[in-house]
Amino acid sequence: MSPRSARPRPTTGKVAQARAATARARLAAQQEQAARRRRRLLWVVLPVALVMIAVGVLVVVRVAGGRPSASPGVAAAPAADSVVSTVTSVPASVLDTVGAGSVRTPPQRIDAPALTEGGKPRVLYVGAEYCPYCAAERWPMVVALSRFGTFQNLGQTTSAADDVYPSTPTLSFHGSGFTSTSVAFTGVETEGNELVNGRYAPLDTLSATDQQLVTTYNAPPYVSSAGAIPFVDIGGRYLISGASYDPSVLKGKTHEQVAAALADPTSPIAQGVDGTANLVTAAICATTSGAPAQVCQAAGVQAAAKALP
Amino acid sequence: MTRRVEPSLVTALVGTAVSAYLTVEHFTSPALLACPEGATINCAKVTTSTWSVVAGVPVALLGLLFFVAMAVLVSPAAWRRPKLDAFRLAGAALGVLTALYLVWVELFQVDAICLWCTVAHLCALVLLGTVLWRVSERHLAPAA
Repeated sequence: MSPRSARPRPTTGKVAQARAATARARLAAQQEQAARRRRRLLWVVLPVALVMIAVGVLVVVRVAGGRPSASPGVAAAPAADSVVSTVTSVPASVLDTVGAGSVRTPPQRIDAPALTEGGKPRVLYVGAEYCPYCAAERWPMVVALSRFGTFQNLGQTTSAADDVYPSTPTLSFHGSGFTSTSVAFTGVETEGNELVNGRYAPLDTLSATDQQLVTTYNAPPYVSSAGAIPFVDIGGRYLISGASYDPSVLKGKTHEQVAAALADPTSPIAQGVDGTANLVTAAICATTSGAPAQVCQAAGVQAAAKALP
Repeated sequence: MTRRVEPSLVTALVGTAVSAYLTVEHFTSPALLACPEGATINCAKVTTSTWSVVAGVPVALLGLLFFVAMAVLVSPAAWRRPKLDAFRLAGAALGVLTALYLVWVELFQVDAICLWCTVAHLCALVLLGTVLWRVSERHLAPAA
């Protein structure tokens, strides 16, 4: 008989009872752990689910309700005399100091038939009043062209309030005129900034010739994306597609503030607007054989010309 | 001994990075945003809207400050202080409520969705979930 078999052994019933007690305790612990886990999950899932339901409700209401009523833009009005006089007479010394300024996208060179009118090179601008990039580009267009001629009846408005760079202050070429001995200008604002039946109201219509020109040149490979505005053709020699500088510099400014800032060469507005104006001027000078010399030989224009492709 | 990655801290840091990106974009140019510019998805339309600034302070900057504060509150050292649980919960709840408000602004005021902002909103929601999970671990622990 082995020593092991000599020890007293618990009865089979006691062993079973102990095992059952251990199993019950383990089961109770597991159940407690599972219950605690469920309570924790509830802590997390309930608030997160409520938030997701709230977002879902917002999306459903938005989709079912259609497009929210957009804030209308400010209808164009005749530009204030003080604004026009300031923008059309930026001191030459300021333009010379700015040079190419903070221009991000200079005009692009194209090989196209010369765009002329009455024997003069012609500049074609196509934009729309709601368009924020057009709003930015009009300022330098007016500054540049004012060095070659005189604008009449410029409008004053803002870009759409519900678009990128909302309510950017700007001028409008709708209903305006331009006289010059050296350059012709056509400014077309295809749409306004006020919604009519969910669409911006049409304003100017392109002539058949200009429409053909836009169809041909406002598309790749001449520009990166077809139909983008603003689109500017400078004498068939240079194209501008989109804003040449960062429109955000105009954010929150009044027309008067923008106009006044053009005379401060250190201001971000002057760096963008005056810099672009010098580049546009240089591009126009390339089509006028450098006339008038007083404009085309200006230091700012010469500096900007180096940035032209 | 293995270090446990703290999900709430990772989430707060992701939110911090996204908010920092949006803040830099706000002070430079929305053109820098890597985001489609369409009718529905349009980051620049949202980040340049009049709703992108509250009392002169860019919303993106407020988001950055929020996520930085939350990253501090959910750092391993801070988690060892149970007294901060109330601040963690309040902060996470505030973040989610603000995100809900901003979603409403996008849908009903700006009429565009900013993808980067959506990532930040999701970070706020995940942060709430992870903070709740961690706090519940402490407060729903079995009695000793």
